[in-house]
Amino acid sequence: MEKILQKKSFPKWVEKLDAYEIYSPVKKDNTWSYEIINTPGDIELDYPNAVQAPKKIINPQREVFLEFGRSDDDTLEVTEVLPEEKSVVIFGVRPCDAKALTLTDLVFSEDIKDNYYGKRRKQTAIIGLACNTPPSPNCFCTSVDGSPHSEDGFDILLTDLGDRYFVKSLTNMGNDLINLGKGLFVAPKANEKKELAKIHADAEKKLKRQVNDVEKIPPKLKEMFESAFWDEESMSCLRCGICTYLCPTCHCFDISDEVTSVAPFKGYRIRTWDNCQFPDFTMHSSGHNPRPDKASRLRQRIMHKYQYFVERYDHYQCTGCGRCISKCPVGIDIIEVLNKVRDYG
Amino acid sequence: MVKLEDLKKEATQILKSGKVKYIIGYAKGADGFMPIPTFISDPEDVENLTWNPACVHNLTKFIVDEKKRLKKDKNPDNRPIGIIVKGCDSRAINVLLQEKYIDRDDVYLLGVSCEKTGVVDEKKLAKTLKGQRVVQIDFEDNGNFLVTTESGSEKIPAEDVLAERCIECKANFPVVFDIVFGEKIKRQVDKPFQSVETIEDLSQEDRWKFWKEQLDKCIRCYACRSVCPMCYCDECVVDTISFAVEPDTSAEEKAQKIKWIEKSPNLSENIVYHLTRAMHLAGRCIDCGECERVCPLDIPIRFLNKKMEKDAKNFFDYEVGFDPDQPSLVSSFKDEDPEDFIR
Amino acid sequence: MAEEFEPRIVAFLCKWCSSAGSDLAGVSRMEYPPNVIPIQVMCSGSVSPLYILSAFKKGADGVLVSGCHPGDCHYIKGNFYARRRIALVKGQLEFIGLEPERFQMSWVSAAEGLKYTEIIKDFVNTLKPLGPQTKLRRNP
Repeated sequence: MEKILQKKSFPKWVEKLDAYEIYSPVKKDNTWSYEIINTPGDIELDYPNAVQAPKKIINPQREVFLEFGRSDDDTLEVTEVLPEEKSVVIFGVRPCDAKALTLTDLVFSEDIKDNYYGKRRKQTAIIGLACNTPPSPNCFCTSVDGSPHSEDGFDILLTDLGDRYFVKSLTNMGNDLINLGKGLFVAPKANEKKELAKIHADAEKKLKRQVNDVEKIPPKLKEMFESAFWDEESMSCLRCGICTYLCPTCHCFDISDEVTSVAPFKGYRIRTWDNCQFPDFTMHSSGHNPRPDKASRLRQRIMHKYQYFVERYDHYQCTGCGRCISKCPVGIDIIEVLNKVRDYG
Repeated sequence: MVKLEDLKKEATQILKSGKVKYIIGYAKGADGFMPIPTFISDPEDVENLTWNPACVHNLTKFIVDEKKRLKKDKNPDNRPIGIIVKGCDSRAINVLLQEKYIDRDDVYLLGVSCEKTGVVDEKKLAKTLKGQRVVQIDFEDNGNFLVTTESGSEKIPAEDVLAERCIECKANFPVVFDIVFGEKIKRQVDKPFQSVETIEDLSQEDRWKFWKEQLDKCIRCYACRSVCPMCYCDECVVDTISFAVEPDTSAEEKAQKIKWIEKSPNLSENIVYHLTRAMHLAGRCIDCGECERVCPLDIPIRFLNKKMEKDAKNFFDYEVGFDPDQPSLVSSFKDEDPEDFIR
Repeated sequence: MAEEFEPRIVAFLCKWCSSAGSDLAGVSRMEYPPNVIPIQVMCSGSVSPLYILSAFKKGADGVLVSGCHPGDCHYIKGNFYARRRIALVKGQLEFIGLEPERFQMSWVSAAEGLKYTEIIKDFVNTLKPLGPQTKLRRNP
């Protein structure tokens, strides 16, 4: 379904969505993040990309699985805790971040379906905003099968046409949301469709950075497991977790039990994000660590995204959002690393 | 002014003579104006060295890295490492010397003076330039920076874009070095703790409101820990498992590792992490401000360290990083230490 | 009427003086509020800031660190180190906005059972109007 929505009608549409919990990018001390908003006026869609991808809403950093405790008669009680049932809408999602969700879907809905992720995913509508200008100087989505107006993972994609939005609904969930604002939307005219095509085409040209011949990288990586390349590239790595925690596609987790009270005994089994850049990620209880240094961990990050994932799911596990480049404290640049890998040897 | 040519000449010479194993310095990054740390062992690569107000990194962290590598090396090359140090970085060297983590012979210090200015705060610069893309930034005379953007060059007063740590820097000139470039000009700093005082002056409830909001943001990527040259412990309280595991460590010992801080990025856990970090750096933090710079969520972590620095100065007349022979803050005392808070 | 708030105090008492002082209060049958959970440590100098933060995290409404008087430390200098460290912790806790009254330090010798009871009485009385400590407490 394709529609046109006047920008001044946008808040009216949001008002109609009062049955939903609404997230939108919000500016807080100079940084943008996805937060729950209370009034439609709080939604700002003129923003560079948020520091943290909306993955933090669908796959929160801390997820409670179980609640356990000892009851008064001393029996052990275990209760499953499932995500709260509610309808959620996330506004202003960038195409790279929405595509990232489709990649995480592959992992969490393979043979064993992840109930927690699945539930949140199902009850959340993703409303995107096409990037007319690259939201970050390090955007490179077109190099990894993406585009500034890719429709992957969206229920609705908005494109800014100045005083109007071009609204494209891609799922039934999207149609339902548009129907809630009946009367506010009109059918697009032919010239508006033309305008849309032009904006989309222009946006692609505005991307400054790219990885050429990306398809050459996975086979190349396969031969580079033992290469000294990783030692050189990782010299300046600090072993922090910025690149992976901010990555919209990284989804590794750890499960642990937190005892909140000893008497009466009570606690939670939780899932938290984990991070392949931390030394304890692969540490064995014997004290042996198969990825003992930062070289092997940088290698893991690149290999997982550009080799193992490609082999398994036939997609790059990277959507070119550029967060890991912009936020790396020492300027390790995945585009540079990939270019060097491609030309290596 | 630091003459980059002189710096390169010295670097080439010490590499050629084999005096140093390699040099840790700054080089131009792949994209944008921010330099990246570089490791040069071939004299031919000295050409890549750069020095400008965007050289924000505290490179002494890589000395700690090297030290850890050497420990595992069966045939270690014990020649010194050449390293470029600013005023703050050189104080970090002094603390590492004070704690006997390194020997003076482990490093060959190429000091650079920040003269009257310091390094830039990327965010302040972006704000001042209203989104224009910076291509290059250089030191200029009279406390200005020369900023080249895509639309041309302009002089900007350094004060407008200086990193907070530089505004409060007590010594923007290396305090320990083997050779130094640039002039020693002491800048007058009237209020070295002004930033902390702005927080202290808030009411108790407002302070809490401030920190609650800030520390709630933390995602525990531990970049603040990773970037800190003083955070060199093999094992940290926040790690989920013990790294001091040896083949003969018993299962019981492993199981008894105390979980001081849970993995959940909840406010309560974040507070324990950040306060413990600050406490562990009391009398050790040299205020290079790297922890705050690298924080992806812009948490003003430096305040916590600065508060420790202020209390150490006011209560115990202790200053960090100037004297490698002084005893450490928390393993020493004076009879006259304040005790009016004790009953 | 609602039950009166009874604060919980975690007290780190050094083995040689303060803990003995609290024992003296006990065997002398001096009365003092039962709000305190004593934890015996070898020396006030061995109290890590982590102990204090953990106590607050696990729900303490107040924390007391108590050691020998200056010059009386069984390990000669332990309480002098504690004095420095606790001053720093106290500064930091106030800096983030915890009520300063919630964290106290005292010197209590093995003979000062009475002083110990007074410290606890006063501590409980200062904590009562403050209500439960929720800032550093773990939220479930």
